[in-house]
Amino acid sequence: MAPDPQSSSGLAADVRVLLRDTRVRLGLTVGPSVIWLALLLLAPLTFVVTVSFLQVNDAYQVVWQHASLANYQALFAGDGPFWTTSFFRSLVLSYKIAATTTIVCLALAFPMAYLLATHSGRVFKIVIFLVLLPFFTMYLVRAYSWYLMFGPHGVINATLLNLGITDSPLALFGYGQGAVVVGLVHAYFPYMLLSLYASLDGVDFTLVEAARDLGAGKIGALKDVVIPLTLPGIISGALFVFVPSLGAFVTPRFLAQGKIQMIGQLIEERINTLYAIDYGSAASMFIVLTIVVLFLLAFRYVSIEDLGGI
Amino acid sequence: MPLENHSQTDRRRFLKATGAVGAAGLAGLAGCTGGGSNGSGTPTINILTWEEYADLKDEIESNLDVNVQFTKSTSSSKMFSSWQAGQDTQYDIAVPNNNYVPKMMDAGLVDTVPKDVISNYGDVYDTFQGFASNQFTQDGSLYGVPIRFGWYGYSYNSDTVPDHEQSYEALFDPQYTGADLSGKLIMYDDHFKAMSAAALYLGYSDAFEGAKITLSKDQISKVKQTMIDQKDILQGYIAADPTYIKSFKQGNFALGQSGRNEIVELWTEGVDSATMATPKEGSLAWFESAVVSKKSDHKDMAWKVINQFIAPKLGAKLAKAGYSPSCNPKTQQNLTDHENEMYGSIDPSRLQNMIPFKAVENEDAWITAWEDVKSA
Repeated sequence: MAPDPQSSSGLAADVRVLLRDTRVRLGLTVGPSVIWLALLLLAPLTFVVTVSFLQVNDAYQVVWQHASLANYQALFAGDGPFWTTSFFRSLVLSYKIAATTTIVCLALAFPMAYLLATHSGRVFKIVIFLVLLPFFTMYLVRAYSWYLMFGPHGVINATLLNLGITDSPLALFGYGQGAVVVGLVHAYFPYMLLSLYASLDGVDFTLVEAARDLGAGKIGALKDVVIPLTLPGIISGALFVFVPSLGAFVTPRFLAQGKIQMIGQLIEERINTLYAIDYGSAASMFIVLTIVVLFLLAFRYVSIEDLGGI
Repeated sequence: MPLENHSQTDRRRFLKATGAVGAAGLAGLAGCTGGGSNGSGTPTINILTWEEYADLKDEIESNLDVNVQFTKSTSSSKMFSSWQAGQDTQYDIAVPNNNYVPKMMDAGLVDTVPKDVISNYGDVYDTFQGFASNQFTQDGSLYGVPIRFGWYGYSYNSDTVPDHEQSYEALFDPQYTGADLSGKLIMYDDHFKAMSAAALYLGYSDAFEGAKITLSKDQISKVKQTMIDQKDILQGYIAADPTYIKSFKQGNFALGQSGRNEIVELWTEGVDSATMATPKEGSLAWFESAVVSKKSDHKDMAWKVINQFIAPKLGAKLAKAGYSPSCNPKTQQNLTDHENEMYGSIDPSRLQNMIPFKAVENEDAWITAWEDVKSA
């Protein structure tokens, strides 16, 4: 039976009428994303926030009553002052490693982004391709590659020994904080580079020429013209590098060989061995709070629209 | 109006993209729900266990009318926490180390063993039947089936480390063996194994006598300080067996805490310089124990699959795959003399001089001390 053209055009008309309703249009466009976020972000986050105020009993069950701040107090409780607790020390270490990673990424990416913004063509495409190339491999594979490079008899030390440059393995290329920073810089460098490039690409470089014509030196032009104009890109790149570095888990596991403990590892250990999801939730929420404070500070200098770097 | 057209195109593309992402997400979630059978009526048994068990898949499926799906886990603690987090509905079987079975019992995660289904249980060494009876039997009901066993001490590279009286002191004093091993020592990245070794080194063997390991607050504090002092001479903490083997071959360390199965694997790969030490303070003996989830839809079939793990043929294959002896001595019939010597016919009476893995009293204090060591 052939379809009735009148009924199908009637259906189309009904749909058109329906779509004129703003709420229906909103529901169709934003609805799926809202459901997605509600199920996979908001619901777990609500669970974590709730559990952070509750307790897990001896049978490893969450006791859904008697909410308190006990888990938050436990983060800083120990035999000595709060700064000697493992949570505080791990948190400070994580901040230190994340800050170092961010600074190194910025120092390496800024000159490259500047060159890319001021030069175009084939070289640009090749550089962008080379920067993104490692991202085609799994993160674990990249971390493991660095694991083989470092160590007393890793590729770096073995090469130095074979070339006769040193007569014993150098501690500098052993496992530890240095190796972790290298692994994290490698992992998050492209985020910084692309943020900076997007920001620098929008800079009117005639302003730099004008500054130079008016007597500014190279450093002065960079400090007074380029950096203020690219500040949103610097801040967005820094956040993209700093936040995941703070919660790094796989990289320190491979490249520190257990000699240091970042905050993600501490939470994992608590949950895996004791099923202390109450303590883990409080620790996670405390870190989230510190990151929110960082974001608020960042927004004092740039607007959220500028964080795209454009 | 080009601008409006552009906006309409974007909206269409947005809707298409959202729809595609939503469909992909739903498909992914559908995969998470898993399935108890494949539609033909053959049940699927999902198993969370160590890597080597997957070698048994074909035989189990041909011996029983069942599909088995193995998911690799690298630690007993992860098996426990994932089941506690809700994966006890996803998996029918887990095979943690014996000290985690009481935890799973306390959490109400595991079912009792129907001994009539586990026909091979009667063949299991009396030693392990005794351990199972002491450690995970409640009100006359058994909750786990011993599968494989082994022990932890330490090992060293005999090319660089001289013979010495075997003691945990080798892990804490870099000069103890007669060679300078500063920076060439490793420990396990596991609070239980590492702290137990330190406790035994400090002479706290009494704490290992009861049903649980009971270190006093003062003893835990001393263990912690000893391990903090040890960090300066350590190359690092090793996470898993394959990492140990690669690192040994790479020459990254000379002496380290290890399991016998790792050393047997190195021997089979021709690394003769790997030497297993049995410290005079006592080795830590473990055995894996299979448990079935209380929420499994196919409990009976799950126990039949576990029965296969200790069957003479399959148990032998498992021993070969993991370089660890089976808890059922009848598996030895299916191994060569050489294999039996390496990992088949290890008499568990050797374990009588060892300290079996046990649950820990006041584990919170152990974990806090371990975190203090790691973050020092």
